[in-house]
Amino acid sequence: MYEFNFDQILQNPGFLWRGLQNTLALYVAALGLGLVAGLVVGMGRYSRRAWLNWPATAFVEVFRNTPVLVQMMWFFFALPMLLGQPLTAYAAALLALTSNAAANIAEIYRGGIQSLHRSQWEAGKALGMGYGQQMRRVILPQAVRRMIPAFTNRAIELAKMTTLASSIAYAELLYEARLLSSQYFNPIEAFTTVALTFFVVLYPFVLLVRRLEMDARAR
Amino acid sequence: MGYTWDFRPVWANLDILWLGVVNTLWVTVLALAAGLAIGLAVALLRLQRPWIVRAPVGFAIDFLRITPPLVQLMWVFFALPILIDVRITAFSAAVITLSVQSAAFFAEVFRGGIISVERGQWEAGRAIGMSGGQLMRRVVLPQAVKRMIPAFLERAVELLKTTSLLATIAYADLLYQATQVSQATFRPLETFTVAAVIYLIVILPASLLVRRAERRLAVSGETTM
Repeated sequence: MYEFNFDQILQNPGFLWRGLQNTLALYVAALGLGLVAGLVVGMGRYSRRAWLNWPATAFVEVFRNTPVLVQMMWFFFALPMLLGQPLTAYAAALLALTSNAAANIAEIYRGGIQSLHRSQWEAGKALGMGYGQQMRRVILPQAVRRMIPAFTNRAIELAKMTTLASSIAYAELLYEARLLSSQYFNPIEAFTTVALTFFVVLYPFVLLVRRLEMDARAR
Repeated sequence: MGYTWDFRPVWANLDILWLGVVNTLWVTVLALAAGLAIGLAVALLRLQRPWIVRAPVGFAIDFLRITPPLVQLMWVFFALPILIDVRITAFSAAVITLSVQSAAFFAEVFRGGIISVERGQWEAGRAIGMSGGQLMRRVVLPQAVKRMIPAFLERAVELLKTTSLLATIAYADLLYQATQVSQATFRPLETFTVAAVIYLIVILPASLLVRRAERRLAVSGETTM
């Protein structure tokens, strides 16, 4: 029977602490940029003008229908050929996660906006509002509230995706755990700790989403 | 931006990529079949009355759905062999991880489908003297499965995307084969672009199918999950 021994991990908190900080640095940037880019792409998807709609649709379909890890490898190994200069692992991971998040978030915005009845637009128009004002003052405030569970779900998925950056040697949590485990030969403890860390951080948010979804259904 | 594209080295190695496609699909099919079977069993356990059965199963499902798939894969590949003292190949680690992980997702789909069947249906089955197993097989599941189809397909698509993680433990899937070709030809741009396009060609029709299934069920007035 194997005896668990977490001593090495507790005595070397530097590894996982550094990993956690890097995970957060990647996560926060990707989520923030993804929300903004997602709104832009979502508007494009919602637009009737072909020159806005087509590129936005292509972006969404490409990034939603290819694996994130392939996207990350593409940004890390392939894009530098086009740019003529190398990208850091952080930049490549950030580009991949932001694009992927933006594509998914765009669909959430679109779904949220479409879920509002036409009369909301008409009411805004009747008050003499322009398209921008209708969107900003009438549509988005209502739509965003409905989108919160979907956004939270996406944010949770994005957090899980940050671990993929370990495969291009970005020193996030999982990568640091691999380093730790190869130094102290304790893969069981190292990977278990990473799994538990993610679970403990994300579980409250998962419960929150369930609660929000239940409330929304009750309304 | 003065890069000259040259796909010839990639075409010359198309057989290597093709092997990757075959392996990707093979592991997807295996994990899908195992995941569905385990998922149904787990869902039936999850629906049991006694708290002592229901709660731990629910917790295990949550744990597998919330921890990152790559961490699970690393755990199975590097940690599990030490725990059980058995050597595990990349292929076995891949099948184990993906089956167990998708079982957790499928269990929730099954559960959602089963509880969506109206109480009157259960009562009708019981009224004509069916046992629990008969009721499930003949009345509940046939109706539930129809509603679950979009969710199943969506999960299958997610599974197919997740197989790309197997490249990190050197299972020869499409992504792994692409990295091999890219290193051999020094043409990462062309190789990874072709690999991404292959993934897109396989996954996009499946996604469109999911959307169509969702629309059709919505039209017939049945909820999708």
